[in-house]
Amino acid sequence: MTIPQAPPVEGEHPLENLANEKLKTKRWFHDPLLVVGIVIVGVAIFLAAFGEAIAPYDPTVPVGPPSVPPSGQYWFGTDTSGLDVFSRVISAPRIDVTLAVSAALLSGIFGTLIGLMAGFYRGVFSSLVMRISDVLQAFPVFILAMVLVALSGRNLTNLIFALTFLYTPIFIRLTRAEVLTQRERSYVEAARAAGNSDFKIALKHVLPNSLTPSLIQLSVTVGFGILLTAGLSFVGAGVRPPNPEWGLMIANSAPQLVLGEWWTSLFPGIAVSLTVVGFAALSNAIERRVATS
Amino acid sequence: MTSTILKTTGLNVVYPTPTGQFKAVNDVDLELRSGEIVGLIGESGSGKTSLALGLLALARHPGKVSGHIDFQGRDLLSLDNDELREIRGRSIGLITQKPRQSLNPFQNVGTQIGRVYRAHVKASKSEANDHAIELLENVGINDAPRRIRAYPHELSGGMAQRALISMALSAQPELLVADEPTSGLDVTIQAQFLDRMWQRAEETGTAVLLVTQDLGIVANYCDRVLVIENGKLVEDAPTRDFFANPRDAYSKRVLALAGERAVADTADAGVSTAEPLLRIENLRKTFKLDDGKILSAVSDVSLTVMQGQSLGLVGESGSGKTTVGRLILRLLDADEGSIWFRDTELTSMKTRAFRDFRSKIQVVFQDPFDSLNPRWSVEKAISEPIDLHMKMSKDEKRLRITELLGQVGLPESIRTVKPAGLSAGQQQRVCLARALSTNPDFLVLDEPTSALPPVARVEMIALLKDLRERLGLSFIFISHDLSTVRELCQDVAVMYLSQIVEMGPTSKVFAHPEHPYTQALLDSVLFHDPLSRRVDREHRGALVGEIPSPVDLPKGCYLAGRCPFAEEKCRQEPQLLEFTEPGHLVRCWKAVGGVLNVVDTEA
Repeated sequence: MTIPQAPPVEGEHPLENLANEKLKTKRWFHDPLLVVGIVIVGVAIFLAAFGEAIAPYDPTVPVGPPSVPPSGQYWFGTDTSGLDVFSRVISAPRIDVTLAVSAALLSGIFGTLIGLMAGFYRGVFSSLVMRISDVLQAFPVFILAMVLVALSGRNLTNLIFALTFLYTPIFIRLTRAEVLTQRERSYVEAARAAGNSDFKIALKHVLPNSLTPSLIQLSVTVGFGILLTAGLSFVGAGVRPPNPEWGLMIANSAPQLVLGEWWTSLFPGIAVSLTVVGFAALSNAIERRVATS
Repeated sequence: MTSTILKTTGLNVVYPTPTGQFKAVNDVDLELRSGEIVGLIGESGSGKTSLALGLLALARHPGKVSGHIDFQGRDLLSLDNDELREIRGRSIGLITQKPRQSLNPFQNVGTQIGRVYRAHVKASKSEANDHAIELLENVGINDAPRRIRAYPHELSGGMAQRALISMALSAQPELLVADEPTSGLDVTIQAQFLDRMWQRAEETGTAVLLVTQDLGIVANYCDRVLVIENGKLVEDAPTRDFFANPRDAYSKRVLALAGERAVADTADAGVSTAEPLLRIENLRKTFKLDDGKILSAVSDVSLTVMQGQSLGLVGESGSGKTTVGRLILRLLDADEGSIWFRDTELTSMKTRAFRDFRSKIQVVFQDPFDSLNPRWSVEKAISEPIDLHMKMSKDEKRLRITELLGQVGLPESIRTVKPAGLSAGQQQRVCLARALSTNPDFLVLDEPTSALPPVARVEMIALLKDLRERLGLSFIFISHDLSTVRELCQDVAVMYLSQIVEMGPTSKVFAHPEHPYTQALLDSVLFHDPLSRRVDREHRGALVGEIPSPVDLPKGCYLAGRCPFAEEKCRQEPQLLEFTEPGHLVRCWKAVGGVLNVVDTEA
């Protein structure tokens, strides 16, 4: 008896093919949201690495007369201490972006792993983790961040630690929800029937299939991280002067607004907004891609 | 008296695509007459559903319907929306797939049925309510006055489907369009449902268009068959002519495959010098529900599978057959009882020790796509058990995978493909190859064919049969499809509500079913033969209703509530599994005592 051969790989349902075709014709770069996101995030990361090097002046020492409006020499003007605003705006990502990206990555890693365990082993551990997350998320983020920084001291490492602590519950929740649906699928049972240990099933099978929501969240979290860093500095709980940092710059120059010195706060304000929008756009665009494919 | 109800000329359903127009239905001319049940068959993606919806001048977004649909002298495609709405529901009823998703989860079924009625007939709310109760009773729902207050999530699939047909029939339409109405239902429920529909067409002269993939349904219930392929109608023939002499290539292929199955002899019992390989004794498993009630999934199940033999475990969904499979695999732990595999007792083994033992007992699940890790290639999926249990060099492993792919009839080129790129049949072959990779002694096959389209299903059965002969595989085959079990298994055990109610050699059980439940199951099988239709057969002992919930089991016979032969003694005394002849066990005092007059089902 001959072995019955499976039919050749056939096309799926024509309507599904149709949908796929639509996606294929719509190339990645035809999505304006994605282009905006990539450009802004790209610039932000570039400035985080090289901003200080390409700045026309040293961002931490006075380089000219105070309160000069924007001109050919000082593109964004100078502030009350005579620091060059343009140099400071493009140097700030070294602190803002680096801090937010590290915090997002760390909370992403911790949150995903804890969420994986909480979803995989339902029971006391899972309930405990979720209740702690509830409590953390119930606090206003900003107040909690201030408290954490106040308790641990104002320096970069502590800021990263505080932000990580604050953002981890989001990743726990997202990952756990996905793990709960994935662990009910037959491939997990098949993996167990094949002789995998729980540990291997969780790491090899469930984790890779539960990452999508966290990956989408990562980019938004960077945006929020930047906003929070700037906010903390604005109220004096973040980065110390004279380090170039957007929130700090706005805080220092806000009183000058009434005197008509608009440039010292407007440019860092635009920088913060643009960067946050950029990361949010990127995450939104990725989410759309993932949802449709 | 057979007047034409609906006639289409040049019907097209077109979907715009970036690369041009996709014609899902291409220039179709068809005619539906009163009192006639017409079967529409075709492969998935051939345009069956598009055509069915097209008859109501409907198309899934962004499709467009064009051509002419003459319905009782009016061209549907020239009517405006209000006029169309008047006709849909009132004159043309629609039953879709996936009954539960087609009902509004926020309204109870009585309200939903009543609304359709009131949309077309002048009636008060209470009249509509009475009408809904009557309709539900008509489709065989017990306790209809209470049931109409149920919300869709409180209904089983079969129940929801019957609510849906009540809705479609509520305004007494002249035409009923039913799109695979019974896919996913148990055979007994399917038979109940189709019987009703057939009766209805007989009595009221309703025309029915029945979209299906199941030739058994076509052979048993349809007067005429339409075959659609790539949007074109390729065959339109009376059912008997179609089965006797199909003209179209697809029809021929499908019928040839079906014919191959019919000719194939029943699996032989063989010479039983074999040793017992798997022996289950008094297995019991209960689940504790959230409200504290106890659900008995498996109670007192004992069975034996001999070396090189196969056992079919059949029953409706909810009978506990899948739980037995999971207990054998130790995916669940039994409450009581023992499972002997050769000389090893499995239930008392430590988890860690059992992990190594798993290479000997492997499994294939029902849903092939769901049981493959979507991120893993075919090669990776198959090699996982090898990596876990065998020490093989890279070259050895590559050769072994080639061998396995050959065994399940897959091309070598498939190695790097991810599951999403495979057809359901291919996915299931990959699952089978994965299960075979460690040279297991025993397989648990948990409905491996029921999620596959008809052609793939037939191929899968042929493959399993072939593997059983060539590799001497022993397996337990869990299924609700009796004809498959008949072909594949030497022995069969019938489960009902957590118990085995009848067990014995397949040939005996199928020829002389003794338990009323087995008889009803066999009676529900639809043969691919228009000359032996279920509706023409005299069926006795049809079950009423559906499987009750396995919580609070009755103290007497579990079937008593549905059994046409039940009497007081059945309700009072628990039934025992007893021999009626050597090797044939039945759990029914009437059958054992010979009080039940046994009728042989035709072979």
